[in-house]
Amino acid sequence: MQKHHISALVILAAAAAAAALAASDFLQMRHPDNLLASPGLTTVRQLSDYAPWLKGTNGDTRIFEFDSGIPGGTLLLLGGTHPNEPAGFIAATVILENIRVEQGRVLVIPQACASGFTCTDPFEGAPMNFSLEGRSGTRTFRFGSRVSNPLDQWPDPLVYSHYPSGQQLSGFETRNLNRSYPGRPDGTFTEQVGNAIVELLRQENVDLAFDLHEAAPEIPIINAIVYHEKGEDLAMSAVLALEFEDMRYAPELSPANFRGLSHREWGDGTNVIPFLMETSNPIQGRLRGRTNADLIVKGVSDGYRRALESGVLRIEYEADGEPLSRRVGRHVQGFTALVNAYNEYRGERPIVISNLPSFPEVLSNGVGSYLN
Amino acid sequence: MLYWTYIAIVAILAVVVLVELVNERSWKRQAAMAMVLVVFILRVLQIK
Repeated sequence: MQKHHISALVILAAAAAAAALAASDFLQMRHPDNLLASPGLTTVRQLSDYAPWLKGTNGDTRIFEFDSGIPGGTLLLLGGTHPNEPAGFIAATVILENIRVEQGRVLVIPQACASGFTCTDPFEGAPMNFSLEGRSGTRTFRFGSRVSNPLDQWPDPLVYSHYPSGQQLSGFETRNLNRSYPGRPDGTFTEQVGNAIVELLRQENVDLAFDLHEAAPEIPIINAIVYHEKGEDLAMSAVLALEFEDMRYAPELSPANFRGLSHREWGDGTNVIPFLMETSNPIQGRLRGRTNADLIVKGVSDGYRRALESGVLRIEYEADGEPLSRRVGRHVQGFTALVNAYNEYRGERPIVISNLPSFPEVLSNGVGSYLN
Repeated sequence: MLYWTYIAIVAILAVVVLVELVNERSWKRQAAMAMVLVVFILRVLQIK
């Protein structure tokens, strides 16, 4: 054996070790997070129950059902449409792990875009997970990608043409679940997931639905409730009730010609009244600085602090940061206010829930205090 | 179909890099090729 063959063997062994280490890290993201539902849980279903072609794929995800046994309305709550927006799926998890349903039914999908939870966005330097201290110890959650994993849907077209409207968007958006409604059974992977959720809304005769999100501090639609025109009275009533609790939410009407989004397509294509809520999340913004798990949980960004102090940018950022507890608390409080408004104005099919923490409770005790 | 064509191209390139690495006489160039190979292997195995 020549000398360069020996060095090749040594270097290949080192490369194999590096590949194995990297593979181990990447494969960890394929393990579903441990979610511990409240004692009121009655059934766990799969999204593939409504779309059998998703069975065994990364598009399948768990649906947690809480049925009070008392006739009433049905509510669907989605978190994790964008797995890089943690307040969305942590708020859904807090609700999943605490809720009591006194009348009607509640369905929770905490991680709607299951595929997006299996990878991170390229070139963002994002952490793969973050941890919170729950009631029974440390809980770790994945921090995923805004869109489906390219291993599940590839290649992206140069221009994404939304079905059925033909609206054109950047090619990257072809893997964005919240641009893929109403979807189609024989469409792209992400369109199939979107179609399964729309099928669920129809088959379960859902009355009220929520899609929880976050956005960068410089995005205009944050700390907002986006509503379909069917739910305008509920949105305004909830915003007013929240103002009385000293909480400011911007009501935003869903644009009628911006297609593919949950608050538009769910409302147009089914009987449901949909709402989408946004909070301000520094880790998604361009000024965020060091990108790590601390930024997800504490939400402290020197870049955004300086932008706030400069006064030249219109951003939603508090001087002490935007911690996950505040963002989750906002979502849970907004959700509760909208359910209360629904029961007040559309009382014929009530959905009565209890045991959810208020915004001040989540803020003062920390979000981990409401995780099992 | 395009996806599997892409995977096949990456697999062929990985084999080419491996052969070049074994025949290369400079260990520094071997190390550079190994770094490229890691990425190709993870992609062929559909891990990343």
